[in-house]
Formats: sequence, C-alpha cells, structure tokens
Amino acid sequence: MTARTLLFLTPTVVLAACLGLVLVIVGTKVARTRRERRTAALVAPYRIDLLAVSAGEDDDGSHRARLAQADGPGRDALDEAMTTLLGKVRGTPADHLAEVLHAHGAIDRAMDDLEHRSSVRRARAAQLLGLCHIHRALTGLAAALGDPTPEVRASAAHALGLIGNPAVARRVLDAVGTSHPIPAGAAADALEGMGTGISEALRDALHDASPTVRTVAAQVSGEGAFTRSTPRLRELLTHDPDLTVRETVAEALAHLGRAEDVEVLARHTAGEQPTPLRRACVTALGELGEPSAAPLLAALLDDADPRLAEQAATALLCLGTVGREALGDRQGPAADTARILAQLRTAQAGTS
Amino acid sequence: MSWSGAVDGLRAVVLWLMDLTSVPILVYFAVINASYLLLIVLASLDFRTEHRRRESEVEAFGGALTPGVSLLVPAHNEAAGIVASVQALLSLRYPRHEVVVVDDGSSDGTFDRLREAFDLVEVPRRLPQDVPVRARVVDVHVPRDGRTRLLVVRKENSGRSEAVNLALNAATEPLVAMIDADSILEPDALLRVTQPFTDDPTRVVAAGGAIRPVNGSRVVSGRIVSVRMPRQWLARIQVVEYLRAFLLGRTGWSRSGALILISGAFGIFRRDVVVEVGGLDPTSIGEDFELVLRIHRCMRDQGRDYRVAFVPEPVSWTEVPSTTRVLRSQRRRWHRGLWETLWAYRGMLLRPRYGRVGLVALPYYWVFELFAPLLELFGIVIVPLALLLGVVDIPYALLFLALAYGLAILVTLSAMAAEEWSFHRHDRWRDLGLTLVASVLENIGYRQLTVWWRLEGWWASLRGRKQVWGVMTRTGFEERAP
Repeated sequence: MTARTLLFLTPTVVLAACLGLVLVIVGTKVARTRRERRTAALVAPYRIDLLAVSAGEDDDGSHRARLAQADGPGRDALDEAMTTLLGKVRGTPADHLAEVLHAHGAIDRAMDDLEHRSSVRRARAAQLLGLCHIHRALTGLAAALGDPTPEVRASAAHALGLIGNPAVARRVLDAVGTSHPIPAGAAADALEGMGTGISEALRDALHDASPTVRTVAAQVSGEGAFTRSTPRLRELLTHDPDLTVRETVAEALAHLGRAEDVEVLARHTAGEQPTPLRRACVTALGELGEPSAAPLLAALLDDADPRLAEQAATALLCLGTVGREALGDRQGPAADTARILAQLRTAQAGTS
Repeated sequence: MSWSGAVDGLRAVVLWLMDLTSVPILVYFAVINASYLLLIVLASLDFRTEHRRRESEVEAFGGALTPGVSLLVPAHNEAAGIVASVQALLSLRYPRHEVVVVDDGSSDGTFDRLREAFDLVEVPRRLPQDVPVRARVVDVHVPRDGRTRLLVVRKENSGRSEAVNLALNAATEPLVAMIDADSILEPDALLRVTQPFTDDPTRVVAAGGAIRPVNGSRVVSGRIVSVRMPRQWLARIQVVEYLRAFLLGRTGWSRSGALILISGAFGIFRRDVVVEVGGLDPTSIGEDFELVLRIHRCMRDQGRDYRVAFVPEPVSWTEVPSTTRVLRSQRRRWHRGLWETLWAYRGMLLRPRYGRVGLVALPYYWVFELFAPLLELFGIVIVPLALLLGVVDIPYALLFLALAYGLAILVTLSAMAAEEWSFHRHDRWRDLGLTLVASVLENIGYRQLTVWWRLEGWWASLRGRKQVWGVMTRTGFEERAP
C-alpha cells in the first residue's frame, strides 16, 4: 500500500468512525428513551396500588393482592420499582412491599442471582435481599464481600447492615482491609446496624494492621459507645502511627470516655503534638463533660494557637458551672468569642 | 534579490521544514489522538462502574464516616449574586458543613448584602495562621441566629489565593472545598464528592468534581432546574470542550492514578494536608494546578500512601466566557499558569520516585498540553504556505487536513458517546444536535484562536510580563420563575 493510498484511506476510515459514533449516540438516546417509556407504561396500571402500599394505606390488603397478581414484563418492572421504594420507606409499608416481592418469587431469584455472572445482577440481588431482611442470605452476602466487583461488595456490606446480624461483623471489618476492600463508609454504616453484639469484633479490629480498619472500628466504637474498646482506644491515641486514626480515636473517647480519660486526652493537647490532634482532643474534652478537665482547659486559653484557645473556651462552657467559673471573667478574643457564640445560641434557643 | 528568487528561497525553506518535521509531526499527531482515546476509554470504564453502582446499589450517603466540610468561598465584588450563592451553599444536602466567605476587599457592597441577608454580628475571633496570609483581616462575622453555619471574614484586597488561604485558616472542618462564589453546586454534589474520603478515609487527600458550563440553563433560587445548551456558539463549543477535556480527560487521569489537576472552581481537600503543604501559592497563576502538584510532591517525598480522586458525577455549574475578549484572557491565563507550574515542578519530571505523576502525567502535560499549540500553529502556518508555494499538491493537503480535524472530531464524538451513555445531562434532542454541530464547528476558527491565545499567554510569561487577571464579565444566570 502506498503512502498516498494510506492517506486517502485513513480519513475515510475516520469519517466512517465519526458517522458510526453519531449513530451510537443517537441510538443510545433512542434506546434509553424507549426503555424509560416502556417501564413507565408497564408500571402505570399499578401506580395507585404502589402508592397505597408504600404510604401504609393498605389495611385490607387489596392493593397488595393486585400487585401480587402482576405477571410477565409488568411484574419485572414492578419489582424494580418496589425495590427502589423499599430503599425509601420503613416499617409496615416496607414489610408489605417485601411481602409482594416474596409473592413474585423475587427473593428466590435474588438468592440464585448472588452467584450470577453479571455483576449488576449480583449487586441488585444483594441489595434486594438486604432491603427485605432475608436472614437466610447471610452466608451468601458475607461471601459477596469478597466479590471481584466493587459495587457488589458495597451492596453486600449495605445489605448485611440492613439485616443487622452481628455474627458477620468480623467479616465486614476484615473486608475493609483487603486488597479488594469494601468502602469504609459502607462498612461503618453496616456495623452500626448490627447492634451491641459486635463489641468483640470491634475490639479485635482496633488491633488490625490496616489504618482504615482501625479508623472504622474506632468510629463505630465511639458512635455506639462500645466501652470494651476503651482501653485499646487509649493506646491508639498515643501510639497509632496514623493521624487520621488518632483523631478518630479522640472523637470516640469523647463519646465513651470516663473521668480517667481526661488525663489521656489532656496529654495530647501538649504543644509538641500535631495541631489537628491537639484540636480534636480539646473538643473531645468539652464533649466528655468531665469537670476535672477545667484547669487544663483554662490553661489552654492562652495557647499560641487561637483556634485551640477558642475551642478550650467553648469546651469550658460545655462543662457547666465548673467550666464557667474557670473561664471566669477572662478577657481576650478566645474567651470573648466563645461567650458571644454561646449567648447567640442561648438567645436563639429562647426564642424558638 | 529578485521576487522569484525570494519565492524560490522560501519554497526551499518550507520544503526543508516539511521534510524535517513531517515524520515527527505525524507521530506526535498519532500519539496525541491515541492518548485522548485512551483517556476516554479509561474514563468510560470509570463511568461504567459509576453507572453500575447507580443501577445496583442503594445510595447511602451521609453515614457515620462522612467527614465535615468547610466550603471556602472567596468573594471580590460579588454583590449581585453573593446572597443567593451562600443560601444555595448553606442548603446543600450534607450532614455537617459550614460556609466560610472571605470578602476580599470588595468595593461594591458585597459585605453589606451579606450582613443584611444573614443578620451578621461581629465576633472578636482571632484566626489561626495555619498558612501564612499577608493581608490584614478587617473583621469576622457570624449570623445572629447562632445556628446558621456561616462565617464571613473581611480582609484587605490581596487576591483570590490569599482569600482562599484565609478561609482555610478560618475553616473548622476536616475537609475544605474551594468553591467560586458564582458557581452553582447540585444539591447532592457535596455528598458525592466526599464519597472517596468516606470510602478510603486514611488515603484520599484530594478530590475534584466535574465542572460544566451553566450558560443557557434555567436557574431558580441558585439551583439548576433544567439543563440547556447556551445561545451563543462560543459557549456551545465550550460545552463540548469541557466535556472532552475536563470531564473525560480528568476521569481518565484519575482512573490511571495520575490526576494532577483539580479545578479551583470545585475541588475538595483534606484541610490538614493543604495546611501541611502551605496552602495556595498567591504568586502562582495556575494556583489550583500548582497546589495539586505540591501535594503530590509532598506525599511522594514522605513516602506516604495516598490518593487523588476525580468524581465525574457531582457537578458544579459555572458560567463560561461568552465573548472572545474574556475567553482570550482566560486561555492566556490558563496556558501561562500551565507553563509556569510545569517549569516550577520540572524537578519531578521523569523521576521514578514520583511514580506515574513524574513518569506519565507530567511528560504528557509538557508534550501534549504545553507544546500542543506551538505545533498546531506550525501546521496552521506551514500548510497554507506550502499550498501557496505549490510545494504540496492540493488533494494531499486537503486529505491531511481532513485526517487531522477528523480525528479531533472523532475524539470529541467518543467523549459525547460516553456522556450520552452515562450521564446524558442534556435531555432535549435539540441540545444533542447542537452539541454534535459544536463538535464540528470547534475545529473551524475556535481551535485556531485558542491556539494563538495560549501562545500569547506563554510568550507573555517568557517575556516576564506581569499577569493581569482581567474581569470575567458575567451575564448572570437565567433566573426564571418555575
């Protein structure tokens, strides 16, 4: 082939590719529009029933019965719509929607789909099983935490949180620290849905090699006030090599700490500590609400870091009478700002 | 020398130049278009993940690990839109966020509008100097209601970067988002753009969100209610350009783990990391680019495990220039910023210790972003000259031009196909048609003008001329009652 032929051929190929892409763009839009219209048309006859069930206005079960009778493509479209609704409603309406999905056989299909070759089907299956609180899916969902596709793993974690069985807490925490991890946020939310039975798993996870796992465990320990984690949290505040973990630990201690934690937190307000950690510890001292923190906080009012000084003043105001006395009539930007902000909040609370 | 002698001489020079450059230019040309297509393929993979995620996952945002965000809003003479902007930012869906406005010495009553709208009262707060700010702080204000999380700081005029740095000092949340006062964020934008931080809290240090042109769209109370194509062709072409270069290009770089540019109009960072690297450089023209490179360098020098992410779905809408005068100023500034930053960080170039940033992204930016207008100008000059002098035959030249611009259109259409498949933000068939036409028109005049403007910016920097920021004349959003 000569250079000239090549030069003639190449623009022709490029032009053909451009036209092909235009067709793809138009085709994509047409296909999407038709799909949306078709789905809307299939669901339309059941719209009133769907609204009644999801609004909890189906006392006699007549709307559920009509929804359960749906068949063929209408049933599939309806199942999709009900799954979306399930993510938005709670209580009896959610139970009723799950009941209809059961009647349609959607739950059994979802159990099978957990091992489907399509990742979208696997993820959707996990989502549905979680939304319907299917306890027998626990093993399959726990296995899906190691799925090669990220969205399946995330859906599985979310589903396990909705089912809320603490037996899989350790699997969830382990999955955060793997090379194909589940998102830390999804893991934390899932763990928070599992109740008090996860304390041992949390305590163990605070020893994990992955800083992300330790962060999740510390966060959930604090949010859920898992006091069995406290000794390890104190160690991590001092020794953890990761600053994010230490800051999260300080926040956690603010929620579940005791009087003896004042000293632990106070140590980390010293000048040689990283500024973000110092600030987190001062805020934590205020939230902890222990009066014994007052002298230390008062000493920090003159700190060279004006943010820290203001946080100390704010924290003192959180400690009640002892804190207010320690703040006394101290003047200066930190104390004055904290007082003004507290007054504004009080005035607002008084008027509302 | 006779006229024909001069022409012969010129012909010889043109021939020599063409002989010398034809093969390198063809190679360059093939590689640059292949790299664009590669970035689009990478971005498409990312879009596919995002698409699947939306298809298959219950969206659970704002959970336990969602970090607080401070929105940093530098404002200079923004009286017309500042109140609507701040109200829109305060009403974003997010569990914990504050808005920090720094009035950078405005003379148009920007602060008065804010004081009136939010009933501001002065507080004697001293702001930390976590990053150095030279300008004097005038005063600090908060709303009287004691609960609206707004902080307004007034300072002497010293430029946008210093205003952002001061806002950074005033910020109290672990993440900071730099937002232009005239940008419009979608209600879920913060929830989505912070998702990488929630998913990977110990590694992600920065994330960028997509920016799209707002011109022509309908805006009500600071919210986009319907997305439309702009009325002017200049802005329409920029819609296509933003789609290809910003949305798909940056998603592709993010996917390959070498994202080095997050737009200053919508970027979110870990506050401690920005403080650690010293905040924005007030002397830099490309301050957003410079900041991200400085973060990369710092992280790599310390051997830290970190990530910089790009999230294509949360959208910040911004007004793009609708006149050639403003567009020229913008493109000159962008290219000047690119050159000055690349030059300042030349020490990272091809250094294995900087990983893909040093070995792939920076060389790419040098060769295909910085030098691209120079080579394009060479083509724009040499091809007509060669035709005029009869050095090349007309069909040959036309075929070559068809190939050059055909490939450019192919790249743009690929980006459009990815957009239509994934986000399809423009609903109307008319808008799709206009986008298709704009992808062709971009190559007729617009592209050549931007080449020239970019070179002007580069040349001004090389000559040591002081950068004048110019004024972005905003026509405002089309606010209509619903």
